[in-house]
Amino acid sequence: MSKYIATAAIRGSHAIVLEAEKTLSQAIKELGPDTPVAFTNTAYFLPTIYGYTGTKVQTLGDMVPIMEKARSFLAPVPADRLWLPYLGETLDAGVATLFAEEIIMGVRFVRGEQPERMPLNGIKVQTSEVSGAFTSPDEEVGAGRAAAAQSNGHYTLNGPIDDIQLRTWGIQLVDGRMPGFAAIVGCAKSNEVAVRIVRELQRRGILIFLCGNVNGRSIIHQLLEEGVQLGYDTYTVPFGTDTVSAIYPLGFATRSALTFGGMTGGQARDILLYNKNRVFAFVLALGEVDDLKYATAAGAITYGFPVIADTLIPQILPTGITTYEHVVSMPFDEIEGKDDLERADRLVERCIEVRGVKIRMAQVDIPVAYGSAFEGEIIRRDAMLAEFGGKGGITFEYLKMADSEDVQDGRVELEGPDLDTFKEGANVPLGIVVEVAGRKMQKDFESVLERQIHHMINGAEGVQHIGQRDIAWVRIAKGSYQRGFRLRHLGSILHAKLHADYSAIVDKVQVKIYTNKAKVEELREVARGVYNERNIKTANLTDESVDTFYSCTLCQSFAPSHVCIINPERVGLCGAYNWLDCKASYELNPTGPNQPIAKKGLISAEKGEWESANQFLYQHSNSTFNRLTLYSVMDAPMTACGCFECIMMLIPEANGFMVVSREDTGMTPAGMAFSTLAGVAGGGQQSPGMMGHGKYYLVSKKFIPKEGGLKRVVWMSANLKESMESELREACQRIGEPGLIDKIADGRNATTVEQLMAFLEEVGHPALTMESLI
Amino acid sequence: MPAILVPTEKWAGKVREVTLGGDSRKKVVVGGETTLPFLHFDGVIPHAPAIAIDVEDVAPQNWSPVLGAVWGDVMREGLAAWARKAVEAGADMVALTLRSADPDMGNTGPAEAVEAVKKVLAAVDVPLIVYGPGIAAKDNEVLVAVSDAFAGKRLALGLCEDKNYRTIVATCMANGHIVIANSPIDINLAKQLNILITDMDMPGDRILMDPTTGALGYGLEYTYSVMERLRVAALLGDSMTAMPMILNPGREGWRFKEAKTRDGVPTQWGDLEGRGIAWETTTAIAQLQAGADILVMRHPKAVGLVKRAIASLMATNY
Ligand code: SF4
Ligand code: SF4
Repeated sequence: MSKYIATAAIRGSHAIVLEAEKTLSQAIKELGPDTPVAFTNTAYFLPTIYGYTGTKVQTLGDMVPIMEKARSFLAPVPADRLWLPYLGETLDAGVATLFAEEIIMGVRFVRGEQPERMPLNGIKVQTSEVSGAFTSPDEEVGAGRAAAAQSNGHYTLNGPIDDIQLRTWGIQLVDGRMPGFAAIVGCAKSNEVAVRIVRELQRRGILIFLCGNVNGRSIIHQLLEEGVQLGYDTYTVPFGTDTVSAIYPLGFATRSALTFGGMTGGQARDILLYNKNRVFAFVLALGEVDDLKYATAAGAITYGFPVIADTLIPQILPTGITTYEHVVSMPFDEIEGKDDLERADRLVERCIEVRGVKIRMAQVDIPVAYGSAFEGEIIRRDAMLAEFGGKGGITFEYLKMADSEDVQDGRVELEGPDLDTFKEGANVPLGIVVEVAGRKMQKDFESVLERQIHHMINGAEGVQHIGQRDIAWVRIAKGSYQRGFRLRHLGSILHAKLHADYSAIVDKVQVKIYTNKAKVEELREVARGVYNERNIKTANLTDESVDTFYSCTLCQSFAPSHVCIINPERVGLCGAYNWLDCKASYELNPTGPNQPIAKKGLISAEKGEWESANQFLYQHSNSTFNRLTLYSVMDAPMTACGCFECIMMLIPEANGFMVVSREDTGMTPAGMAFSTLAGVAGGGQQSPGMMGHGKYYLVSKKFIPKEGGLKRVVWMSANLKESMESELREACQRIGEPGLIDKIADGRNATTVEQLMAFLEEVGHPALTMESLI
Repeated sequence: MPAILVPTEKWAGKVREVTLGGDSRKKVVVGGETTLPFLHFDGVIPHAPAIAIDVEDVAPQNWSPVLGAVWGDVMREGLAAWARKAVEAGADMVALTLRSADPDMGNTGPAEAVEAVKKVLAAVDVPLIVYGPGIAAKDNEVLVAVSDAFAGKRLALGLCEDKNYRTIVATCMANGHIVIANSPIDINLAKQLNILITDMDMPGDRILMDPTTGALGYGLEYTYSVMERLRVAALLGDSMTAMPMILNPGREGWRFKEAKTRDGVPTQWGDLEGRGIAWETTTAIAQLQAGADILVMRHPKAVGLVKRAIASLMATNY
């Protein structure tokens, strides 16, 4: 906690509490304690006070005990020599400030001084303002309002947001249609900057509350001078030109918690947590921050709303009360950018980041249609304008994590020629580099997200995408080109879709597209280096190196008792989910089908049995199974749902296992083809001696280690041997049996046990002399 | 006859009780079971399953002629008459579908929706279930308006699906209504939706679960196996599956050719009326046996048959 801020906030709170006390006693003296007090068109009394204390203030007299409470929250202003952690005192001062401000507003209402009538002093209010619907009492709206303002020289600002509007906006804040709200306090560097900030916020659907001033000038003046339409319809609410009016946004926040959080007055903690976790609001302080602003900001922080200032002030970076930083200083003139407008953009971006506001991309903004219906589209050679990759082509796709400062959300750059310049049917080099920043982004998720490039790009009409990494192959149809599709749109697609589908881990996305041969080749080498690193990392990702496994229960819709438990060295039995995918999926969807299972309570290292995994299985298999070993097929093996890529099954005579691929329709030595075997093994059963698995499990170091690993495989579908030949040979090499793969029978030489045994004897398969399995 | 010793099972869990209606209107409480359906010797079943009857705010176009024959007059007369006749036919509650909000059925808006609900509430005093037209964006629009307009009436509003649950839940929380959480015949998705809804601080006793009905011959077996698993999980103590279940045998049972087609079908199928009623009844009774707490039905005769079945299944002196 910054001592400077603590001191200023506490000083500010003393002053405002004193002012409120004076205001209140004066009003009671003049009007009597029974004078009713109410904010118009709302049913929540003085909402901040009601939320915090449960007290329903209905008369001036009711305010007295609140005033006393506010006073009791005040700590002495820290003396110069004292050095204490001030957070608690500062937050208390903030709460006292909010009470004082709300009391002042209450009295102003009683005196008919709210909503504020702001002198126009020559500002011309746009008569085109037809939609600026306010609901302040007795106010005309639209053109009439503008005309009235012009003729009487006042522009009436908004009082508290009425309950009807609260419901409309509150529900959108809860269901995510509205990403959050910004309380802007003060005055921007220039009118131009004020407008830009507001436009940038509006563009993202963020609700904007305007209050306060710096030396008498308010952002409200700035916006009116520039003819910006203010009102509910444009998501901009001018509350007042002094700092006290900043109480309205907090009252609004309190009321949304009361309305949509099912809380009642006095549940202060719940209300604050509700706001912290669900209402993505922040305070943007423009211009000099005085004591009262610090004090009010401290009040806002209790709601979990961080404060971003465009001036040099001490920062409070550690998190705690707010989700991320508490107070961030971003002196406007020091922001990087070619002009003030760019600086304004950066400032808004930073606000969004500090609060963790999640922006929703409504649509993929490209000139052709977009949707999963186009994913399978094939573009024939004669229909294509150009292709990238494929035979003889040079392409790569690389998604990397980057620091937030280095990523400008939505930026797409093309380096090299665009579609317009290509000869029809040309094969052009293409490099796509996607940079992603996010608070929850992890290096490990790079490959998970990168793999999505394929189906994201494929969703565009007239764009075909095959493969990934440096074997990606893209075709773009003439028709799409004619409708305006250009290479930068590949970037727009990736930006929009990564936000839409991965907002939990992705905050910012920028894309660079390259079509110069030399550059693509150069960067492809860089990317290849990374692919290689990733391969090594995945290969080194061992069960021992992690402390968590993941479950997958996606298949329970068909096989109710089936649970895949996925460790780094074994993919899910469908082959589609590996450990990293599950980890990312859990991050994205914490209540989804992939749940973490902490490796706890080791029962047997040899069999791969843990207490925690057993418990998880019991709870999630409908209490059907209570044991599971990860490293053995003979004792409590993984259940099998039905979508396994392969089935392995004990052949007792051979003292080993056969592995049958889903793609193998032929007969096996067990006398059953895959389909029959699948019927026997599937349905969520646990069958010792029989197990479904992904095909890459075969080359894992944790391939049935308890039974002796790959050496136990006596028969394998021929298609597996062919499609995975190099990986299998490598695995054989690794276990010191380089010739093993040729000793494994397949459907071409054995479809009965007799034939199998004859083959194994002939080649001298190691399983024959291994310890007996049964 | 020698006495048979019935083996009993002791469950740790209990289905939540949900109260619909009230606020000077009739109340219906559902749920509260501590055992599987109708096994009175194992635990308690404090409330009989309830029956709601479907009404729509415009005369339906594609309902079976058999339903047209019984409801045709009130469909023409209007919602109030329809709702009254539903209660006369034995409905414990009325299930109003705001069909006219469907973009293909008139695309009416919030004002019409509120009007329709007002009519039904004025005509009958049983609890009311309100369904949107089944298009998430439109559901949000009309249900939010209804929710606001009838705060405190403890209506059940649906459907609340993973696509729009936040909106429906928020509005139900703000106005004291009940959400109908619908998931597509999948125990995990049903549970996940309940978790998401309660994560928004919605109290568990204001959630009904609709695991989606497949009618007899059209996925009924999926429905009841998912229902059974949800219920067993609830009784084993899983609070996120312990919501009462609401099913729609009426809507589903009358949707297929067996309940709609008079001509050009094998003579063994018998007459259309009996066939349709049997279809709805069989679907409903299977769901009762799998744990349904509310059945939303259509034909008065099917309602009569199911009520008889409920009465005898609830009788504990057998
Ligand atoms: S088979 Fe695949 S999808 Fe199914 S549960 Fe296992 S990992 Fe999940
Ligand atoms: S395997 Fe069966 S249960 Fe698993 S997803 Fe495929 S069809 Fe399903």
